[in-house]
Amino acid sequence: MTQFPILTLLILLPLLSAICLIPLKKREESAKYVALGLTLVELALACWTWSAAGGHPASGAPPGFFLFEDFAWIDTLGIRFTLGMDGISLLMVIMTVLLTLICLLVSWRTIHERTALHYMLLLVMESSILGVFLSLDLFLFYLFWEAMIVPMFFLIGIWGHGRNLYSAVKFFVFTLSGSLLMLLAIIGIYLIHGRQSGIYTFNLTALIGTSLDPAVGLWLYAAFLLGFAIKFPLVPLHTWLPDAHTDAPTAGSIDLAGLLLKTGAYGLLRFGYPLFPEASRTLTPLLIGMAVCGILYASWIAFAQKDMKRLVAYSSVGHMGFVALGIAAWTPLALSGAVMQMVSHGVTTSALFALVGMLAARTKTLEISAYGGLWSKVPVLSCFFLLFAMASAGLPGLNNFVGEFLILLGSYKVQQTATILAFLGLIMALVYTVRLVQELLFQEERRPLALTDATSLEILTLAILALSVLFIGLHPGPLLDMLALPVNILTGGTP
Amino acid sequence: MKTALELIILLPFLGAIGNILLGRFLPRRVVEITACSVIWGSFFAALYALDTYSAPAVVEVGAWLTSFDLKVPISFCLDPLALSLCLMITFVCGLIHLYSIGYMRDDPGHVRFFALLNLFVGAMLVLVLAENLPLLYLGWEGVGFCSYALIGFWYKEVKNATAGRKAFIVTRIGDIGLAIAIVWIFKVFGTLSITEVNRMGQLVPMEVITALGLLLLLAAMGKSAQAPLMVWLPDAMAGPTPVSAQIHAATMVTAGVYLLMRMFPLIGVSAVVTGAIAVTGAFTAFYAATCALAERDLKRILAYSTISQIGFMMLAVGCGAITAATFHLIVHAFFKALLFLGAGCIITALHHEQDIFRMGGLRRALPGVFWPFLAGALCLAGVPPTGGFFSKDSILTAVWAKGGMFYGALYLVAMFAVFLTAVYTFRMLFVVFGDRLAANSLEPDLHGPVKPLPGIMKIILIPLALLGLVSGIFNLPAYLGNGLLQSFLAPLNAEGGHLSHATELGLQSVAAIVALSGLAVAWWYFGRQRRAMRIARAAQPPTGVTAFLQAGWYVDNLYSLLFIRPYKRLSSILWERIDEGVIDDSLDRMAVQLGRTGQGLGRWGSGRVSAYMLSLACGATLMVGWFAWVVL
Repeated sequence: MTQFPILTLLILLPLLSAICLIPLKKREESAKYVALGLTLVELALACWTWSAAGGHPASGAPPGFFLFEDFAWIDTLGIRFTLGMDGISLLMVIMTVLLTLICLLVSWRTIHERTALHYMLLLVMESSILGVFLSLDLFLFYLFWEAMIVPMFFLIGIWGHGRNLYSAVKFFVFTLSGSLLMLLAIIGIYLIHGRQSGIYTFNLTALIGTSLDPAVGLWLYAAFLLGFAIKFPLVPLHTWLPDAHTDAPTAGSIDLAGLLLKTGAYGLLRFGYPLFPEASRTLTPLLIGMAVCGILYASWIAFAQKDMKRLVAYSSVGHMGFVALGIAAWTPLALSGAVMQMVSHGVTTSALFALVGMLAARTKTLEISAYGGLWSKVPVLSCFFLLFAMASAGLPGLNNFVGEFLILLGSYKVQQTATILAFLGLIMALVYTVRLVQELLFQEERRPLALTDATSLEILTLAILALSVLFIGLHPGPLLDMLALPVNILTGGTP
Repeated sequence: MKTALELIILLPFLGAIGNILLGRFLPRRVVEITACSVIWGSFFAALYALDTYSAPAVVEVGAWLTSFDLKVPISFCLDPLALSLCLMITFVCGLIHLYSIGYMRDDPGHVRFFALLNLFVGAMLVLVLAENLPLLYLGWEGVGFCSYALIGFWYKEVKNATAGRKAFIVTRIGDIGLAIAIVWIFKVFGTLSITEVNRMGQLVPMEVITALGLLLLLAAMGKSAQAPLMVWLPDAMAGPTPVSAQIHAATMVTAGVYLLMRMFPLIGVSAVVTGAIAVTGAFTAFYAATCALAERDLKRILAYSTISQIGFMMLAVGCGAITAATFHLIVHAFFKALLFLGAGCIITALHHEQDIFRMGGLRRALPGVFWPFLAGALCLAGVPPTGGFFSKDSILTAVWAKGGMFYGALYLVAMFAVFLTAVYTFRMLFVVFGDRLAANSLEPDLHGPVKPLPGIMKIILIPLALLGLVSGIFNLPAYLGNGLLQSFLAPLNAEGGHLSHATELGLQSVAAIVALSGLAVAWWYFGRQRRAMRIARAAQPPTGVTAFLQAGWYVDNLYSLLFIRPYKRLSSILWERIDEGVIDDSLDRMAVQLGRTGQGLGRWGSGRVSAYMLSLACGATLMVGWFAWVVL
């Protein structure tokens, strides 16, 4: 390895920053600035990797990966510290770093207890999520996958509100039970591959070629799918999400919706489909069924919500259904769309959670029926709210449209009925969105609330997100170009 | 050419962005001037484009969505149809922007108003000029959003906000038709460029074209407020009147007709599609005209008349008469904008009174509004020789020329709708402007004397009135010379039967007689003496047919019963019973059960020696037993 290990640094830097915060436990102001500074450095690093995109592929890297690092770790078991970055990972990494920055900014004035710990947990989350998006070794992937749950558990448990302990435990049990089965499947494919070739390894590239007995493949894939589907979340495995979202602090909701859910989708397209091409084809109808049910069912339920955070949470389930549909269709367009939708959903939903958090921080209530007439009281916040709500409803020119449109274009070729049903979901998405907008922004004030308009820090936070919304919506070209090569490689070998 | 096109599109957007970001910090006058000047700049750019126009041109401005086999650049297509609509849109919207300066004089939300108005024009121009379907969809949804935000402009009232929401959702139902058509077209043709798709129609089976045509018709029904998706437009009148004039009369609501005209080379070959378009148009023209007969809100009467007139345009498209449809679209934009702006003057002068039965004596009080309004009414009723007469007649002629039982029946329906149009138009005119009644139970309720109007509001009516009256010259019937639009748009029309000049003249006389008899009937019912009686009767709650028509045939109630209430109720049931009740609860219970089992098992290992001894004994027995079973 002559090359500078940038990917390792990307993962380690947030972890190191978290460690730096330990001695600053008592000096919260400086802890905040240290965390922010190091996150900005991390952002610069991530942007630097962007400049490497499209360059010469790294030596020894699987096709499509332009950055690749491979270190010996536990050789006796065939476990290596293998990291790689292709277009898909790059997008995910940039999104992760950006949203972590947003998380820090929204917590800036709202977290007053154990501030340093809060920031530490956010940074540890960032590190483990980056690990998930970058690892090419199944064992390493699993390690990061499990590591994500821990900081989230504490974020909900310590800074949450409402029934936060219940929600934290529920979240923990749900995701853990899914991933334990996945661990079994990982060991299973490791053993099968080892017996076949004599080489025991967790390396993804090596394992992809494993020939599996159809029945065995199906069971192994089903275990993977279960783990991913819980994270996604796909109906009917979604019930942890509304609770976790509602009771989490704002930064926790953003991390959860913006990043954690994406790991499920990412795992499915990076590991699930390539490892088990046969089995995934067999179970495609199941995935499509869950996706379409998710879109329609969650969008329908979102309409009835009385708590605005819960409404956004259900809308999340609906939007992730589109991602699942795009992956299930597995055509180049649909898959590009799915990745775009992951990023777009990360941006818009985070923005909506941030806004809801800002309102709740002022009024101490999440009940929709308490609000009304915000437009005249907080015009700047309202303007942003309308923008993100419309983006979430899929207005063209804004970000969600790009992903949804590509998914639907791609999936219509192979799955007509499911796609047409998904279109109905677009109507339902608009229905709950305009309901929320009307009850919050329009009409007369319903309860006297002490409200002040956005502070400059909040405007900065929201402006970053708004610019991303417009950039992806109006000029997605660079991002789509980035996805072209890896998506082509992924879809090349499978149906 | 490219620069002109870019200017046409960019200027309104620049105005909108500038006002959104900086409007709050600028003096009122600057905001107004910016908003108006960008639209007029756009109009002059369009004029320049007309001047230098030679042949249809496609201009690619930049990249938008490109991925694998999908290529969707930001590209615009300038052809006669798009160009004539661009000129109309920028001109009419420019006038309405000027009018808005007067209308919104005292409103504190002027920045939001002008920003949205500009944004709307930009989106509308994108819709009209787009060369590919996703870009058209962008404009399509963009105007939908602006319409939503502007209907609910006075958002504090629940009624207004709800009307905006209704418009957005109902049109979105139609939009899904367009979206499905787009993905289907991409699947079949592999491209989304409108010009290319229109050329490749013969490559695919007729059933596919029929299905695509019906989906596009669904889209048009939503946007152009055609049956059965027409319910949103009357409610949309909750917006400020300039918005009603610009969006819900002159431009946006004709987008559906425009879409069908744009895609006509593709879908026009299917007889099922053209038949469905024609039936939709004729039925809607009739339906809305009947509703307008009984309506008593001035703006809602005009809204119904818009629905009805767009029905005529749809009918023309269904007959393949693109020229006639475009002609009526443009002329309608002039006179309908005029009528709405006139109504805005009346409503402002009467302190926001909209009930026609509470007006009266306005001919004397507002002569500057009366005369232009009369011109607009003559156009709407199709009285010769106004522009409205010629344009509506060209549609009727086209229907007649198609021949056959089917189109013959549609001709009769359309003729009846023409008659009704004349009746309700002059009913409105006589009731609103007729002499003030001394012993009127309702009129004295007006909240004070007639309010003076800003000059600009009255001045704007004059050019529109003149245009409405003389716009017939844009496309004179064949016996009077060659039509301007006809030669401009000639390549777009489907093959239709040609009529002799004598037949054409005969048809026109029939149309003129029908319109004039409508006028006579209106006079009979609402003229001098009868008017007082009608007004007195209007104080009572409506009964029978009147109530049925006033409620818009109870379509709203039907939809509420069939769709809205079940949707709401099921939503709660799904959430509380299914999601929380069944799925979540069963998982919770499983967790509790697991916990209990764990506790039970825990008791086993709690350190009680007797339990250990028992386990040991059981285990040993089992082992010995198994061993014995295997060995023996």
